[in-house]
Amino acid sequence: MSRPELTGPAAHFYNEKEARKYDSSSRMVGVQREITERAIELLRLDHSQPAYVLDIGCGSGLSGQVLEEKGHFWLGCDVSRDMLLVAQERMHNQANDDDDDEGESDDESMDGESNKQQRKSTGDLMHHDMGTGLPFRPATFDACISISALQWLCYSNAAHQNPRRRLTRFFSSLYTVLKRGGRAVLQFYPETAEQAVLITECATRVGFAGGVVVDYPNSAKAKKHYLVLSFDRNSEQKRKAALKDGLSSAAEEPQSVLVTGASREGAKKAPIRKKKGVKTKEWVVHKKETQRKKGKAVRPDTKYTARRRPTKF
Amino acid sequence: MRLLTHNSLKNNSAAAKGKGFPLKVTVAQIRVDEQDGIDDDTKISFIQGILPNLDWPALVAASQAMGIPTLPPALTEDLAENRVFLVALYHVLMNVHLVQGMLTCPVTGREFVVQNEIPNMVLEEEECEAVRF
Repeated sequence: MSRPELTGPAAHFYNEKEARKYDSSSRMVGVQREITERAIELLRLDHSQPAYVLDIGCGSGLSGQVLEEKGHFWLGCDVSRDMLLVAQERMHNQANDDDDDEGESDDESMDGESNKQQRKSTGDLMHHDMGTGLPFRPATFDACISISALQWLCYSNAAHQNPRRRLTRFFSSLYTVLKRGGRAVLQFYPETAEQAVLITECATRVGFAGGVVVDYPNSAKAKKHYLVLSFDRNSEQKRKAALKDGLSSAAEEPQSVLVTGASREGAKKAPIRKKKGVKTKEWVVHKKETQRKKGKAVRPDTKYTARRRPTKF
Repeated sequence: MRLLTHNSLKNNSAAAKGKGFPLKVTVAQIRVDEQDGIDDDTKISFIQGILPNLDWPALVAASQAMGIPTLPPALTEDLAENRVFLVALYHVLMNVHLVQGMLTCPVTGREFVVQNEIPNMVLEEEECEAVRF
């Protein structure tokens, strides 16, 4: 199957006919369900507490349904109105099963299921283009999930659409609308390695920590990429440690906000040079740290780093 | 569109300059779920999770526009611990749906149509905020 992203905008590809085909194909439903389960596993949600989850590119509500089964509440966004209408049908059909059950006899001995009411859907839908930024107040969502949607941002369908700009806009708005301590797992299909790098770069540049998990890396067909994003882990641990100490002195709320070192230490330090024109080890190590923070691949620091070589290269 | 969704929704176009909240609700048609098949403990657990982030004045204004005048003007600590109140709040946030209507930005007047319970928040590329990339 050639890439649907090459045919045009997502809203045009997922028209009414395609939307129905998508939702009725049992193979598609099965695959999307599996991907969603894996993404939820990577989210490391606490399933005992219902979370408010943002579902980007929710499509026909397949991923939303899995979220509901785990006991969470969700808000789905999609650029294709036809897909959203299919999702609504799916959610209303689930609710209509309630009405049928209520009409049946209440006799418990007959059928245990007729007494058990099926839950109404805990999801809501929104028609929205993720490349324009997420239109929510800060720190609204506990988590974010996206299944097979992100790669659509990599293709421009109009002269004024710039993939890098749209990706940056999307990720910076995601950074704002997620609660601190929340996580985002976005499964996508990169056409090339460069695309995967582009997406990851745009995500880390806005401040997210994390990277890409690749399932089944050796199979071209089964390979799945999950972009797992979170907020700086260092700051989270330091904040928890500070709260712990605070509690032991019987304070009800933390007295001050802990601003962590991780993002501030390396910021805007002048490059260190011992003598003009000579790169010292200190400078090289500092430079490598800066590159790491940008999310680039950097060799680990060893005893050989910036060692004076005996002969000129 | 639920009231819970409306409470976080804003106009993030460049023209709104970050102040496009809350959106004014104009109602054409509403739907209320009487029963939702979810147990009270789950409801209370969820509401307690989102309560700190709710914008109460926006919620009161929107619920009044949707025909629900019963929310108190301010959220007190006692109310926040009252189980009956929390279940009722769940009902207002989750079971009242705007089927047809309009959402209007308070700053720019930009209108977002709500049709078939789905709000249309699609912005054109020109309306979006400039971003350094």
